[in-house]
Amino acid sequence: MLLALPPLIGALPASDAGTSAADLRRAALDSTGVAFAGYAQAAGGLALPVGEQLTGVADLLSDRTTMRTWYRGVGDWRVDVVSPTGETGVHADASGTWTWDYVANAATRTADTALALPSAPDLLPSALGRRLLSEAGDAELSRFGADRVAGRDALGLRVVPAEESASVGRVDVWVDAASGLPLRVQVFGAAGGEPAVDTSFLELDLTTPPAEVVDFAVPAAAGIREGQAPQLLLAATRGTRDSTLVLPAALAGLDRRTIEGAPARVGVYGRGVTLLTVGALPGRASDGLRTALAGAPGAVVDDLGVRIAAGPLGLMLADGPDGAVLLTGTVTLDALAAAATELTGEAP
Amino acid sequence: MIAVELRKLFRRPRTWVTIGMLNALPVLVAVLLAVTDLAPRPGEGPVFLSAVLTNGTLYPLAALAIVLPLFLPIAVSVVAGEAIAGEAQAGTLRYLLARPAGRTRLLVAKLVSVIAFVLVTVVVVAAVGYVVGQLLFDVQPIGGTTLSGTTITPEQIAWRTVLAIGYITVSMLGVAAFALFFSTLTDSPLAAALGALAVLIASSLLFTLDAASSFAPYLPTRYWLAFVDLFREPVLWRDIVRGIGLQAVYVVVLVSAAWANFTTKDITS
Amino acid sequence: MLLGLVLPTEGEVQLLGEPMPTRARRVLPRVGALIEGPAHYGHLSARANLSLLDAAGPGGSRRTRTARIDTVLEQVGLAGVGRRPVKDFSLGMRQRLGLGAALLRRPELLVLDEPTNGLDPQGIHEIRDLLLELNRAGTTVFLSSHLLAEVEQLCTRVGVLDRGRLVLQDQLATLTAPTGATVVETPDADRVRAALDGRVLRTSVGRAVVRGADPAEVNAALVAAGVPVTGLALERPTLEEVVLAAASTSADRVDAPGERSRR
Repeated sequence: MLLALPPLIGALPASDAGTSAADLRRAALDSTGVAFAGYAQAAGGLALPVGEQLTGVADLLSDRTTMRTWYRGVGDWRVDVVSPTGETGVHADASGTWTWDYVANAATRTADTALALPSAPDLLPSALGRRLLSEAGDAELSRFGADRVAGRDALGLRVVPAEESASVGRVDVWVDAASGLPLRVQVFGAAGGEPAVDTSFLELDLTTPPAEVVDFAVPAAAGIREGQAPQLLLAATRGTRDSTLVLPAALAGLDRRTIEGAPARVGVYGRGVTLLTVGALPGRASDGLRTALAGAPGAVVDDLGVRIAAGPLGLMLADGPDGAVLLTGTVTLDALAAAATELTGEAP
Repeated sequence: MIAVELRKLFRRPRTWVTIGMLNALPVLVAVLLAVTDLAPRPGEGPVFLSAVLTNGTLYPLAALAIVLPLFLPIAVSVVAGEAIAGEAQAGTLRYLLARPAGRTRLLVAKLVSVIAFVLVTVVVVAAVGYVVGQLLFDVQPIGGTTLSGTTITPEQIAWRTVLAIGYITVSMLGVAAFALFFSTLTDSPLAAALGALAVLIASSLLFTLDAASSFAPYLPTRYWLAFVDLFREPVLWRDIVRGIGLQAVYVVVLVSAAWANFTTKDITS
Repeated sequence: MLLGLVLPTEGEVQLLGEPMPTRARRVLPRVGALIEGPAHYGHLSARANLSLLDAAGPGGSRRTRTARIDTVLEQVGLAGVGRRPVKDFSLGMRQRLGLGAALLRRPELLVLDEPTNGLDPQGIHEIRDLLLELNRAGTTVFLSSHLLAEVEQLCTRVGVLDRGRLVLQDQLATLTAPTGATVVETPDADRVRAALDGRVLRTSVGRAVVRGADPAEVNAALVAAGVPVTGLALERPTLEEVVLAAASTSADRVDAPGERSRR
């Protein structure tokens, strides 16, 4: 499940030339140059059965996150996650980000990578909206209504994924009529109901924020850390050295895609908001995860392995001939099972 | 009339005993921290407390954060609950009204004296916190770090602390208004104070409940912690403005209700 | 209701010629009151209590406050304990302080409820003298009490309340005026009836009431008839008799919805 998120949110190309798109979608995608300062809240309804090392991601997707943001342009912005007793600020510059954690009194430098776990800035309506719209085909797009969001006129834009294996029912994006900035994003599972993710600006000011607000200088008394991906992610991206896992060109009807800079041992399949990642997981890492997943409510355990869905997110630990294979993504459990069968060659 | 009420309040030993007890907890916490050098785990305990070990300048704020959730509202409830009900219970209310101290004047004077009590209490807690912070902890001459990771000078800390004192005082006015209103309903100061505390406990409980999220923004305790926002950079005014507005609404509504009740009430005790 | 503490549901109240409670701010400074016993701030001294009460309303000049406090403490006999906290006071001392508070602005009207409650006989005497002296100086004293003796000794005009209604109001002198009969004390009441045939109104053991407002004439008639007379007096109704005649039942007795009878 964890590994589904990076490609879903973090690894999509920022723009996809060559696809024709509705005017609104184009306006939204072209809004990366619109500077603003805002106050946003994101609420996640996804309960992730994860270990302790990834509570940050789990909280992000299951809790209410309050953010302040100042955006001057691509690679020049700041997003603060505001909590009653502290603050975590992410300051982006051309080569990476500084993450300031008040409670830990530490600043962390992270270089830009192709694969990263989702963090609060990815949940900003502007960032999430552009990403989710970036690969939507015209046939998947429709307009619906209009609303006031953060005191501004917003036009509704709906994405209904075309793939049969998609677990996302629809994505609703409210786009600022004047600037094209996505102001609110709601992601619904196939069953509808409450949104799995709901993020919205509550206040928005379209004047360019001053550079000194966005820039970051490490405080004298603070500790400095080097950014490090969580161990589970490291393990998965390295894979097992002697894994014989062969990643086919298509899985469960989804084509493989190439992402520049991403480890070759991780396969990313699908497009738009329907994505599936596949990677071998070393025994140590998989054992703990298997226990956690099998114990979670609603888990399906059979000869293929164990699989579980949390809202539109699906996660599967398949038992391959050479060890465990982790499949995650915004696909249905049936699609996960089909992919696992194709990979391991076993009949379901 | 206001001067009379202020004299009554501040010549009363109980007032100073209350303020003294209110300061006991932050001082105890400071001594324990200084002796054991064990900061609370990051993210746990009152805000600013983990930062105090490295910078004593922040102790006034930590002290306020310690008393804010419970001690301060209790003290305010007791004093405000005493306002009318206390006079009624002692029998002095009938003499005041026959004097005649007009009922509206008396209520206004009581409100002002309660506000004065809150202000004095908060200032004393901050002042004691300052002294304790200077004595027991390291003080950084260059100032401190905001929640946002920027550096601020001691002067900036000082004036933002003053603003925080003002904001916390305002935050307590809703409690005071509840207790004052209940105080006009009953002749028992204890009942009035407990009534106000019951409202607060209910409010704190509902605030944590997702099912109550539709009216969470209107709970009296909703924006209490917003004084922390003064120490972000830039200052996040949103919740502070809302908190002041919310308290103003509570004060206006409850004091009006108290006035309507008190000016038409038969004083029989 | 008179002092604006209880608001009337109907009718109107006039105090010193002004409507209450609308003109309370103008009238009440001219009134001193002791209502249902004294009440003070126990942690404060007698002086501080008086000072605070005086400052709490209009009509108490700050300039003369200290002097006025000195005077009333002297008047009520608390000059020696003015600086002691009231919580150390006895019931009688509190009563005196309450009276002092009522006197603080030299009121035209004093409204007193059981003013001698808790006082010893000497204290009662002192207070009575003080009130009589104030009355001579022009202060109207409005007193409510259950102690008829106190009322008889103090009041010039009395009213009787029965279950919340004023059933009688008149000069004390009128109410207790001679009835036109003479009370004869004699060991042999039956012989009085024989001697003054037709004039005897009623007899009891050792006592006969005879029509005729001239005791000397009654005496002469009885002596002439050889009836022994040990005492002679004009008949006057006692206040108790007046009250008993006017008010039907005791206020404490609750048969139906009860009210209080006071005077």
